[in-house]
Parts: sequence; C-alpha cells; structure tokens
Amino acid sequence: MDFADWREIIFDASVPFEERFLKVYWHQARHNRVLQTFFDVFGLKPESNPLPAEIPHLPVRAFREKIMMTGGFEPDLCFKSSGTGKTKRSRHCVADPELYRLSVQKEFSGYFTFNEYSILAYLPGYTDNPKSSLIWMVNELIKSDKSRLSRFLPLNKPLTQKDFEPILKEEKKILLFGAAFGLVDLLESDSGALPQGSAIIETGGMKTHRREIGKSRLRKMLAEGFEVPETNIHSEYGMCELLSQCYAIGNEWFKTPHWMNVSIRKADNPSVECGAGEEGKIAIIDLANVHSCAFILTEDKGMMNSSGEFQVLGRWKNSDLRGCNFLVERE
Amino acid sequence: MSASEQMENISKAVDQWLKPDNTMLKEAIDQTVDEGLFSLEDIKFQILHLKKSINKGSLLKWVEKSGFNKLANKPKRIVCLHAGNLPLVGIQDVLAVLLSGHNYFGKLSKKDPYLLESFLAECQKLGLLQKIRWTTELRDFEDTNADAVLFTGSGESVENVNEIIENLQIAKPDASQLIRTAHFSIAYITDHKPETFRSLTEAVFRYGGTGCRSVAIVVAPFHLDSEKCEFTDYVESFWLKNPQNQNPEPSLFHHFAYNKATGVSQSWLDDFLIEESRLIDIDKFILHWVKGGWAELEELVRQFEKEIQSVYSTSETPLQAGGKFLTENLSIAQKPPIWWRPDGVDTLQWIQQNL
Repeated sequence: MDFADWREIIFDASVPFEERFLKVYWHQARHNRVLQTFFDVFGLKPESNPLPAEIPHLPVRAFREKIMMTGGFEPDLCFKSSGTGKTKRSRHCVADPELYRLSVQKEFSGYFTFNEYSILAYLPGYTDNPKSSLIWMVNELIKSDKSRLSRFLPLNKPLTQKDFEPILKEEKKILLFGAAFGLVDLLESDSGALPQGSAIIETGGMKTHRREIGKSRLRKMLAEGFEVPETNIHSEYGMCELLSQCYAIGNEWFKTPHWMNVSIRKADNPSVECGAGEEGKIAIIDLANVHSCAFILTEDKGMMNSSGEFQVLGRWKNSDLRGCNFLVERE
Repeated sequence: MSASEQMENISKAVDQWLKPDNTMLKEAIDQTVDEGLFSLEDIKFQILHLKKSINKGSLLKWVEKSGFNKLANKPKRIVCLHAGNLPLVGIQDVLAVLLSGHNYFGKLSKKDPYLLESFLAECQKLGLLQKIRWTTELRDFEDTNADAVLFTGSGESVENVNEIIENLQIAKPDASQLIRTAHFSIAYITDHKPETFRSLTEAVFRYGGTGCRSVAIVVAPFHLDSEKCEFTDYVESFWLKNPQNQNPEPSLFHHFAYNKATGVSQSWLDDFLIEESRLIDIDKFILHWVKGGWAELEELVRQFEKEIQSVYSTSETPLQAGGKFLTENLSIAQKPPIWWRPDGVDTLQWIQQNL
C-alpha cells in the first residue's frame, strides 16, 4: 500500500473505526520492530485481531529513545518536541507530510472556516524551536487562508487595533491561536479587548514559564482580559508525537477526530480503562500515525465523561516538562 | 526534670517496650502482620535494629551532636505527621520531641498504626506522655494550634496536607514546619565482592524498596548484563529469607514490555525490575543500574538532589558527593544510627532552633 492508499483508508469515515484500526495494527505489528516486540510480550501477534480497547499503548517516551518508524522511508520532515537542555527531546519523523496536512485541516475545518475567521497566532516558546510541530501545523493553517490575512504575531508586542483592522475590514472575525501562557503575557502587556465575535484557541502551555495555572482559571482570565465570552474560548490538544489534534469547543471537554480513539487508562494498570469521571493516563490511538506509532500512552492525566469526551488535567506525576498541555493542577 | 533524667526515662521506655514479654508489642506485631501491612521479617529486622541502636549512650551522642542542652522551659505543641512506608519509620521524630521536652501530638500512618502506638503506650506508662495524644485521623487534632509540624511524606502531598492543617487549625498560621520529602537513595559500588552485593541487596530490597534510605539507583563500573546472574542470586537468597510483602502493580509489567521493545538491558524478577536505561524515572519496584564511576555518580546526585535521601559507597570513610552529600557506608543503609539526619536535617537540633 502506498501513502495515498493509507490516506484514503484513514480518513474514510464511512468505514468503522475498528476496521481502519485493525489495518493499521496489522501494518505496524508487521513492520515496526519496537511495536512488534511490545505487542508480543502481551501475546499479540501480527495476525491477531485485537479490539481497540485491548491494544497495549506504547509509552510516549519511546519517541525520545527511538526513531519510531513503520516501514522503510526517508523522512524529509522531522519534528522535535520543545524541552529543557537536560531533557531528551522527542523526535517524530513524518513519512507523509500530506497526511499530516490533511489531518490538521480536516479537524480544524470541522469547527472553523476561513470564510468566517482569520488566524492571529501567538506562540512564544515554540517559535525558537525550528522543529516544532505546532509551528508547522499553525503555519499550514495560515497558508490555507486564501485571504492571506492570517499570520503569526510578532513576539513581545501588545495586540492593538492595527492588528485587527485588515481582518475586520474584510468582515471576518479574529481567531487568536496562542500558547496558553503567551496569551496571558499578551494580556499583561496591555493588550485590550478583542473585537466582538472573536474567538481564542489556547494550546497547553510553555514549559519554561514561571507560572502554573489551572484550565478553568485560565479560561476565566482569557475571557475577562480579552472580553470574549467563555463559549468562544477553545482549546487544542496535540503533541509532537501525534499527527492529529483534538479540540475542546467552548469548554474543557475535548472531542476526537473520527480517525482517533482516546481512552483513559489506570496508571497502575494501563491494560484497564478507567470509568467515566475517573482520573488516569490519557491513551491514544491515532491512525494518522500509521507510519510511526499509532498506539501511545501519554504521561498526561485525563478524565473521560460518559459521552466519550475527555479533559486534560495536567501531567501525571513528575514527568518531564515536554511541551504542550502541562497545566499542573485542576483548580 | 533534667535532660539527663529525660534521656534515662526514654531509654527505659525503649527497653521496656522491646522486652520479649511485652504483650502489647507482640499484639501490635501480630495485628500488623495479619493485616498484611508489613512482613514479619521486616518488622523483626527493624525491631532488632532499634534494640541495638537506641540506648542511653546513643541518645546522649545524639544530644551532643545536635548541640541540645536543656529541656524546653515552656513546652510547646509539636504535631508529627508520620509516614508509614516502613515499620516504625516515625520513631525518630517521637524520640526527638520527647528528648526536647515539648508536647507530642502524633498522627500515625494508617499503614503503620499499631507498632508505634505500642511504644507510645510504654512512654505513657512511664509518664513521658501525659495524655493520649496520638491518632490515625488528622481531624482529631482540629484546633490544636500547634507551634510546629514535623512532616514526612511525598512531595505531591505537601500542598494538600498544608491545606488540611490550615483549614482545621491544627497548627498556628506561623507554626514552624519541618517537611521531609526525599524519597530514595543512591549507591556507588566499585567491585562485585560478595559483601558488596549482599549489602546492595539489603539496601535495595529490604522493605520492598519503599524506604527513603532504600537504593533506587546504583552506579557501578560494570554493565548490568555482565553481573545480573550473580546479583540476582543474592536477591533470590534474600527473598527466601525475607519474602517481599507488597506486590508491584501490573504497570511494572508494561514497563518491562516497553524495555524489551526498546532494547533496554533489564532483569525481570517478577516482583521487581532492574534496568539499565538512559532515562531514569524513579518508580516503585525498579532499581536503575548505571554503568559509571564517580563522575556519573556526581552527575546523578546533582540531577536528583532534592529527591535523594542518602548516597552510599563501600568506602569506610565518608566521601563528598555532588557538593551536598557525604557518603555513608552501604552496609548501614537500612541500619541508620538514631541521630541520622533525614533530608540533611537533625530533627532535635531543628526543634531546639525553631521553638
């Protein structure tokens, strides 16, 4: 199967997730030696037919220790997570950038259109990482705004009316896409209210930032500071190790794209799923990772509701500060 | 009462408590074992060690080392929040408070509620404690308005405990706090002599590795693969005499599977995992093996400085490791003298200086 075939399989919503999942499982269990060995310890063979709930998820730190590739390919796009000097950074080499592009755009466009919005992106802490997947992703979104009004904002400058005017002139709305603490910094640098109808997407935080803040408090701060209703404050959950993203629209509950499966696993036994409302580690099946590793156990703490939406509650224990979404404690 | 008389009485209380015919201690041991809190072997080991290490001479030595000179004129209230990761781990704090002449209020761990209580009862008999002031429920100390709090526990729990103390007014808002959170130790070995491996085994596997003085990282001049057969023989022999009381969670098996998949050298012992990985993530039931010398040890000490309790070596002479630590002999990892300094702080000295 070539890259185009995989794109077709992964994004075909008419095929049940379980079927697409099995195809990716068989592929990775055959062609990814790390996963093959990992699955084998749990008695899963390349010809097995596990259900998504039965799959053991590989701890995300594998991306720090190995280049996770399924099948042979020469990657020309490799991402690195942000990290401190001492922490080894994750590397994610992308076999098929087109698949990543599609994944980014399909999920984003399910919630936002460039007919309505233009993006102003403020991502301090990421811009100095040339290998940042977040920067690549936002850049792709910016490029796909045909009006050419979407752009990255300069760092360390407050938002002014001048930033909004070109977008408002075209009768479009502002979509401020920013790193959580970058947005707080913007507020503290005397950026005033956003124009009416604006929305904000916050993503995680910045590892080097001096503050820790809960999601609820952050949402309130952004809503009050930018004078945007909380229903227009959204969140994005993604990481260097994933080629798909989840969005929480107007609240703290993330929904998954149809090619993704998120479950919450007991930290003391990741083979077992937590019940609704129970905290555990976030485990992800991301079919867009077909050429790397699609089955990942994160170090993020999460909780699922009965509708299958999930919250990100910070890091589980003292894991390294890796990049996105590390708000430490829920308030 | 003079400090000397107080010491005499404490020593007497310890002697009485550890007498073979002390039925209360015997019952406490039975109950602890019956409830599966600790193994009989671990309790016996601890009691034997306390018997050897607490006497009038050792208490005097502690008092001298800490520069303590007289009992408190106006006794103040000290609340001790004891940990329960190994049997009688809180006894040093009890002794420090009693030696200082202040009033003891003890919150016993629900994981070790009987053993320490049997000692406190003995102290009460001898008039060292006026009232029963120990409990397993923190709420029982509501409105105590203590002048100081001694706390040993996980770093994650500090914030939560402080909130409870504040809400229940267990301590005054300006109460002094001694918070100890170091949770593992490092060993540096330079040979594979039987004595070294025996000491290392005891230092790692006693109490299921749950003590803060338990070794979680060993730095050795050889790789795990070259020594694992020999070392695991010592471990098996240790477990035959001292069966591990707690079993690891299934997540340890996932950890093993991950190591296997990513090619990490390891030794899977069913109830424990030894691994030689470049990424060290301290967790229960895992011994990290690092091939290296003194430079690697110092680097690790710097990396984990705030989490490390002790650094051990096989040298008889203490060595300066990573600036802050003086090494202790590996053979005393689980047999510390009564004056040892948790988190580098002499508790008796701290009480004198802060109250």
